[in-house]
Amino acid sequence: MTQQPENVDAKHGVNLGFLRKYAVVFVLLMLVLLFSLVSDSFMTLRNLTNIVTQNTYFIIVAIGMSFVLISGGIDLSVGYQMSLVGVLTGMMLVLWDFPVWAAILIGLALGTVLGLVNGLIVTRIRTFPLIVTLATSVIFQGISYLVSQAKTFRSYPDSFEAITKARLFGVSFDVYLTIFIVVVVAIVYYKTKWGIRVVALGGNEEALRLAGVNTRLIKTLVYTVCGFLTAVATMVMISKANSVQSSFGPGTEFTALTAAIVGGVSFLGGEGNIPALVAGVFVLAVLGNGMQLAGWGTYAQFVVRGAILLAAVAFDEYQKNLKLRVKR
Amino acid sequence: MTVDAAPTDNVVELRGISKRFGGIHALKDVDLELRRGEIMGIVGDNGAGKSTLMKVLSGAYVADEGEIWINGKKARIRNPQDSTDLGIAMIYQDLALFNNFDVAKNIYVGRELTYGPFGLMLNKKRMYKQAEELITELRVDIKSPKQNVMTMSGGQRQMVACARAIAFKSNILIMDEPTAALGVTEANKLLGLIRSLADKGISILLITQRIPDILAIADRVFVLKGGVRQGVLEVGKITLDDVVTMIVKGKDRAAEAPPEVEYKSFG
Repeated sequence: MTQQPENVDAKHGVNLGFLRKYAVVFVLLMLVLLFSLVSDSFMTLRNLTNIVTQNTYFIIVAIGMSFVLISGGIDLSVGYQMSLVGVLTGMMLVLWDFPVWAAILIGLALGTVLGLVNGLIVTRIRTFPLIVTLATSVIFQGISYLVSQAKTFRSYPDSFEAITKARLFGVSFDVYLTIFIVVVVAIVYYKTKWGIRVVALGGNEEALRLAGVNTRLIKTLVYTVCGFLTAVATMVMISKANSVQSSFGPGTEFTALTAAIVGGVSFLGGEGNIPALVAGVFVLAVLGNGMQLAGWGTYAQFVVRGAILLAAVAFDEYQKNLKLRVKR
Repeated sequence: MTVDAAPTDNVVELRGISKRFGGIHALKDVDLELRRGEIMGIVGDNGAGKSTLMKVLSGAYVADEGEIWINGKKARIRNPQDSTDLGIAMIYQDLALFNNFDVAKNIYVGRELTYGPFGLMLNKKRMYKQAEELITELRVDIKSPKQNVMTMSGGQRQMVACARAIAFKSNILIMDEPTAALGVTEANKLLGLIRSLADKGISILLITQRIPDILAIADRVFVLKGGVRQGVLEVGKITLDDVVTMIVKGKDRAAEAPPEVEYKSFG
């Protein structure tokens, strides 16, 4: 039997596996080039540093979301998880005078529990995670507003702000934290049996169960880790903003989802690439920053982001169909 | 021809297995004995309970009643892991492969070769090396353990499923319709592989609708009808008609004239 090399579109002579892996890097470079030409202030050290530091929390959320997507699920509640964890941490710091370390630990624990709740519901009810997390999102939203009374909590202790303001060699702590998380997650994803099982779960859940793996446990862990990482991102975000209210989280889930899919994570599960995912976040970040500097406005960004998400999903679908055609 | 004498070298003994799905009684008080190194064909019409019986043994289903004895010891199989731990491997009809993985990962997922603290780190080098050795040993038509299974032919995918099943020295192998989707050449290769595995001492339960396959390689045939055991036939002493008659008419009427429906399907 003659077979073509995998992922090769014979008609157009394109290796889609290679393209899928590196397309996002190519798009990122093209955007950098475009905005360098359009705006003088884009390619400055100050602006590039801003792009990195303003998006550390997005990278952390996108990684959590990606793990869920790769496992075949989705978590639409991360936005309101951030709101709930954020306002409670803000209240602990501002209203109740908790020590900073205690507020951070309780905030992280709360985020982890919210993720665990999502995981338990998804595995017990066994229904579409999209619906489950949409429902929990509304619940988290309600609790967030009930607890905070829609108030804003600002002016945190210096030691809390140090998360994003403390610097070593001119680089802020949250950048180091993000790099650390990316490295740890990449090791877990590529080098451990836990990582391979998450990918297998997204590829064929029933086959993994029949292979003797406790798929419920893996799935619950995935949502729990997502909740934990969302809480870490929340700490970074509210430390940077030095302020929090219930409306600050929503929308993050869409950006994280878009970044993940642009970064090569399959919407159907079973596929992902950590470095490309980080590049996916920066595609959106550069796009937002560049369009702002070019004076194209905020609203146009929504249009472009939506179009990018559609293009990424279409490419994902095209690649999967091509694999099937190659098989036939 | 029904064998009534109890075998003495049984690796599997199912005693009084019953399974219900709501109001449907899928298996009724079924006994089965599998000898060491034999190939036993499991046959029956659609809905006879073949796959259900095998899924009880593989841990995909839990029996409502009955006992399972493996290698002379009473066993409790509550999930696929229990079954795997007892040295039982099942190749499902849909093969249960991971299309997003290559051959080596398909073979080892769930039983990864690891090292380091808590056995957490994947030993990929060893996994790929052993997968390659396994492919070579099985003499299957797969070029590399790095080949993605999604792009493989039905026969190659079946071979990957076989490699996965025997990679961990399972001594009991259950195969559900392994030749159903294969062409003549690929089916012949697979049947040869199954025979060679049995010759190495692996006991094999082979579910199939292709009765000639069973007559070609099996030692005995186990017949189910409506979830009830009809009998076990010695392959060397029967014809295709004997098997078809028992499948269609059951044990009570098997002595009557052959069925009016002529057997024409050879898969």
